[in-house]
Amino acid sequence: MSETQTSSAPRELKLMSRSTYLKEAALKNLFMLCATMAVAGVVLIFLFVGWRGWPVFSEVGLKGFLGGSEWLPTQGLFGILPLLVGSLVVTLGALALGAPLAVGTAVFLSEIAPPRVRSVVRPAVELLAGVPSVVFGFFGLLVVRPIVADLTGGLGFGPLTAWLILAIMIVPTIATLTEDALGSVPDGIREASYAMGATTWQTIWRVLLPAAKIGIIDAVILGMGRAIGETMAVLMVVGNAPVFFRGIGKPVSTLTSQIVMDMPYASGVHRTALFGLAIILFLISMGLVGLVRGLSRLREGTR
Amino acid sequence: MASALTVSLAGCSNGSHASDQVIVTGSTTIQPIAEVAKEGFERAHPGVRILVSGVGSSAGIENVIAGTADIGTSSRDLKGDELHAGLVDTPIAYDAIAVIVNPSNPVDGLTKAQVKAIFEGRITNWKQVGGPDMEIGLVNRDEASGTREAFFKIVLDKERFDPTAVVLPGTGQVRSVVAQAPSAIGYISLGFVTPEVKALAIDGVEPSEEAVVNGRYPISRVLHFLTRGEPTGLVKEFIDYVLSPEVQEDVVRDAGFIPVTAKDAHQ
Repeated sequence: MSETQTSSAPRELKLMSRSTYLKEAALKNLFMLCATMAVAGVVLIFLFVGWRGWPVFSEVGLKGFLGGSEWLPTQGLFGILPLLVGSLVVTLGALALGAPLAVGTAVFLSEIAPPRVRSVVRPAVELLAGVPSVVFGFFGLLVVRPIVADLTGGLGFGPLTAWLILAIMIVPTIATLTEDALGSVPDGIREASYAMGATTWQTIWRVLLPAAKIGIIDAVILGMGRAIGETMAVLMVVGNAPVFFRGIGKPVSTLTSQIVMDMPYASGVHRTALFGLAIILFLISMGLVGLVRGLSRLREGTR
Repeated sequence: MASALTVSLAGCSNGSHASDQVIVTGSTTIQPIAEVAKEGFERAHPGVRILVSGVGSSAGIENVIAGTADIGTSSRDLKGDELHAGLVDTPIAYDAIAVIVNPSNPVDGLTKAQVKAIFEGRITNWKQVGGPDMEIGLVNRDEASGTREAFFKIVLDKERFDPTAVVLPGTGQVRSVVAQAPSAIGYISLGFVTPEVKALAIDGVEPSEEAVVNGRYPISRVLHFLTRGEPTGLVKEFIDYVLSPEVQEDVVRDAGFIPVTAKDAHQ
């Protein structure tokens, strides 16, 4: 807020030449165009998905679509409950494994690691974010799956394999944001804690984590968004059987992987139903982003 | 969409362009072969257009009987009234599906009925078919797969697949998983079987090119080009091209099918 005021002030004072003014104005408009493109992209995609998927509620019916427990497109059954349950099981399990890992990484980077160690660990975590998901998928299929198969019996396709892969995939998102949240805790609070005779562990556990709580929850929710939307890596290890969750080593399917599996051949109502799945995914994402916005406002309020 | 296309193509074929274009429509299994053959043929015959579309075998047969296609392609044999519609059948390839297991699996063969029961989820342990006490790990293909469709018709007799089976989106993935997992069973086109997996004998017949062309291997089918009467002119030239070694040895084999020319070698 304050920045825009200071940048517009010189213009009012007419302290810049005409050409500088024009350049500034052009840049301002360019950046506004960039921002508008992003918004237009979201709106257009939402309208398109909504337009193609909306008929599912009349063609399949709200009850058959949202409440149906069988996804059998060839027999005209488009119940998304097994897929929804699959997505939730896969996402929540990945969070349960990945969030502590990521928060631990962030605490280490922010509070414990000496600068030299930090200069190795942080780029490694950032590099993890750049690994294509199909590479994670292959790693999961060829390395993690056989290990899971030995543990659970069966072929090793299922939620457990997806959890292990996704847990690693969401570490960069959660760790980076958590590190920011910890970094924004004023140093005075740290110093006060140590001055009271608290150990490093006590300072981290009793003081810093509570102080950065809302920022960390933010980070975890964004990690959840990443996990629920992940498609390729999940598709390769989850087994893609559109049935209810029956155990951590048994195949399930998720909203995203089912869309990819069915899209090449779907037509008619089936295709509409796939766009319906996309609407559901979109609504979940919107809900998560809304939650993050709400929490951020809460954080600003407490400060 | 597809039907609209067929109708518009039909319009063309009855018009003045009929002499320099050939309409090939039908089986989606045959579509990849026809598409590649089309490219080669058009390159060799400038000005000629081959129009290829995949609308399913039954629609292909219907179209060629109605005269809206020059060549109807079908991955199933003719039946009922279709047999008496004056169609001439030119087999262009064989499609055989191998049922594969891990090489460490002691089971060497199954009956077609056992395979059916396994993929329906009625047999769930290898000991029920003479193997070790080990849960069967079913590996299925995605519904977009032509191999799955063929397996569904030939082996499952259109009964429902076990919905709890692992579904993988590619021949390569099925093969690599079966190669790694001792309890797995899957199916792939015979042309894609490698030594890292074991192809089972079905009803006592080892899957081989010879067994397929002799018609003894049960999980196989013939891919047909159907014409109304003996093919003539450009249509005949195109069919001859598809039957030429160039297409048979490269295109047909690359697609995982067995060339019809293999029949001569085994007789």
